[in-house]
Amino acid sequence: MNIHALLQLVASSMLINNIVFTLLIGFCPLCGAYRRLSGAAWMGVAVTIVMGTTASCCWVINQYVLVPRSAQYLHTLVFILVIVSLVQLLEMVLEKFFPWLYEAIGVYLPVIATNCSVLAICLLSVGANPVTGRPFTFVEALVNGIASGAGFLLALVLISGVRHRLELSNVPAAMRGLPIIFLSAGLISLAFLGFTGLSFAPMFGG
Amino acid sequence: MMADKFKRSVFLQNPVFGMALALCPALAITTSLKNATGMGIAVLCVLIATNFSVSLLRRWIPYRVRIPCYLVIIATFVTMADIIMKAHEPHLSTNLGIFVPIMAVNCIIIGRADSFASKNKVGASIIDAAGTGLGFFLALLLCALIRESLGANRLFGVTLIPHVEPMRAMLCACGGFFSIALVLGISSHVKLTRSKKQ
Amino acid sequence: MTILFPVFLLGLLGCVFGIMLSVASKKLYVFSDHSIQKIIDVLPQVDCGVCGYQSCAAFAKAIVEGKRDATGCIPGGAKTAHAIGDILGISVTPAEPEMAVVKCKGGKKESTLRCLYDGIPDCHAAILAGNGPKTCVDGCLGLGSCVRACPFDAIHISDNEVAVVDPEACTGCGACVAVCPRSIIDLIPVVHKIFLACSNHDRGARVKKYCTVGCTACTLCVKATPSGAITMASNLPVLDYAAQENFVVAAYSCPSDCFTDLVKFRPKVNIDAKCNGCTLCVSACPTNAISGEKGHRHVVNKDKCIGCGLCLDKCPVHAIAMWGGLGYTEGGKSNRLRITA
Repeated sequence: MNIHALLQLVASSMLINNIVFTLLIGFCPLCGAYRRLSGAAWMGVAVTIVMGTTASCCWVINQYVLVPRSAQYLHTLVFILVIVSLVQLLEMVLEKFFPWLYEAIGVYLPVIATNCSVLAICLLSVGANPVTGRPFTFVEALVNGIASGAGFLLALVLISGVRHRLELSNVPAAMRGLPIIFLSAGLISLAFLGFTGLSFAPMFGG
Repeated sequence: MMADKFKRSVFLQNPVFGMALALCPALAITTSLKNATGMGIAVLCVLIATNFSVSLLRRWIPYRVRIPCYLVIIATFVTMADIIMKAHEPHLSTNLGIFVPIMAVNCIIIGRADSFASKNKVGASIIDAAGTGLGFFLALLLCALIRESLGANRLFGVTLIPHVEPMRAMLCACGGFFSIALVLGISSHVKLTRSKKQ
Repeated sequence: MTILFPVFLLGLLGCVFGIMLSVASKKLYVFSDHSIQKIIDVLPQVDCGVCGYQSCAAFAKAIVEGKRDATGCIPGGAKTAHAIGDILGISVTPAEPEMAVVKCKGGKKESTLRCLYDGIPDCHAAILAGNGPKTCVDGCLGLGSCVRACPFDAIHISDNEVAVVDPEACTGCGACVAVCPRSIIDLIPVVHKIFLACSNHDRGARVKKYCTVGCTACTLCVKATPSGAITMASNLPVLDYAAQENFVVAAYSCPSDCFTDLVKFRPKVNIDAKCNGCTLCVSACPTNAISGEKGHRHVVNKDKCIGCGLCLDKCPVHAIAMWGGLGYTEGGKSNRLRITA
């Protein structure tokens, strides 16, 4: 377990290749109205949990079922089935064993099941690790899922804060609502370009 | 009536401008007009095929499991589209990356299947799919037009103004946001002025 | 073989997931009281947070667990309280319905500004920036903090740049009351349609300089209300809404038009043939709308009649009745409050 590579992977999934601001996937929830910051934050937590579990499950299925039979063309179909079933199962497990968590994130789980970002992370988890260049291992796939979810949470919190400020600003009539949100998101993603080249090499003597 | 419905699907209920759906592909792959065309055609074909199948099978799909059923149908057609694209246009397929499989959870396709195809006849569903797909295609072309001309100084690969350094930021992720903000702003302005006139 | 594998795999996956989910739904079954779902169905589904819970579902759960009263949903009102009572099999006495009123009507037409404010369009922000642009330091700023707080879209800023509540849409939840930085929004019982639309604590001619509809503490309304339901406190009349009083005379008697009457057309009084000409009503009428000599049937000038109902109390033979948009009201002291509703 190469800690350096894992840390770099975390930075890569969360900041450098942030799923919303760099890869531009799955920001339909960002357009929705989250009046309270806590609502946005819990949605982010829900996405993180779902991404972590589905990424690892999809990796396992890919490694032991699809790859031996050269059936990679079934990725999309199989992963969708896995995601939908897992989210359903997760909902039931949470309701039974973690009711406080279920109360907070239960509303968001059905929405997340058909969100582009979860499927995107699963598909990326069976590809090549951008840090090492080799295919993901199980641990790396799990870390990738959780870190990407954390990046999504970061994006939701940022946009929620921006929306709060925008409420009190004099936005031109034509730009009110979605256009100004996208403009702000564009500025944030421009800022996220600054993370390119973020490296932990100095920490590890590189 | 068909023409009216078609026109409505393309403009009024335009998935990107009217209903702000399926923005993920609209932002991510509109870095060039060629990509936008490829994606638009792929979505159009998958939409028509899905609406056709769902409309055909609408009486046999139980209500409670309808979303997973639609997902399976859509994923099948998306996989087919993906494989065909990989075979005939490998360059385009590499450019579009994971956005072709992502089509499987595209809000528009599921949305049209659930709200229209599951309740209407095959003919009407196909017209609706064609209209929505065309609307989406136009939206993609518009965004790609802005991004490619400003970001790469090209249109369909043909250089526009020679010896001019383009705005490379428009090709990055932020460019996608800016271009769609611009297009949504313009369409919102048009809607506002229209409603003021009335 | 290449066709068999995906068919087999997908079929297997479908079966596995189907079985797993059905087993899980049995094993992980969480008992949920069916009445919770029934209560959720009768709640307004607005998730406004007035009851203290983030969502209607959480409130329903709290009711079933006994943590909250069935009357806790103010936006739902009496209808919802009774519906919840029916589901739970208990009797409920809903609280008296209230509505919010903004106690200021001095907008750009009536009041003066001492400076121009060009900042964040929020009342709290304007107050931080030097106590707001209006000369009157107690008045409505018209920047819309209350508008943003209302979950029912019941309060708006009028063209005159003051906040106005829509009585039809207001549910009396009190969100705007809490948010107003000058605390000039109040809840009054829905049956009362008259309120004092001024909150300034200044008195005398000074007030006229900065607001034409400001209360000068002249106490004419106090004197005009024989039941004593209005008292003065820090230069403002305080209306006792629990008293049997409709405040129509007070509103009429104010020289600065400080009161707001939400009823557009007050009912008019009619004197029938039972009248014995005692002229008690003539002296009671604050607007001199009744005329007539002793011994002859009195006549009401409908244009002057303000519908206050003072004459109804005075008539010894119950010859006076009120007719109009608020319904038909007969004579008798206890009926004067009915004139408000």
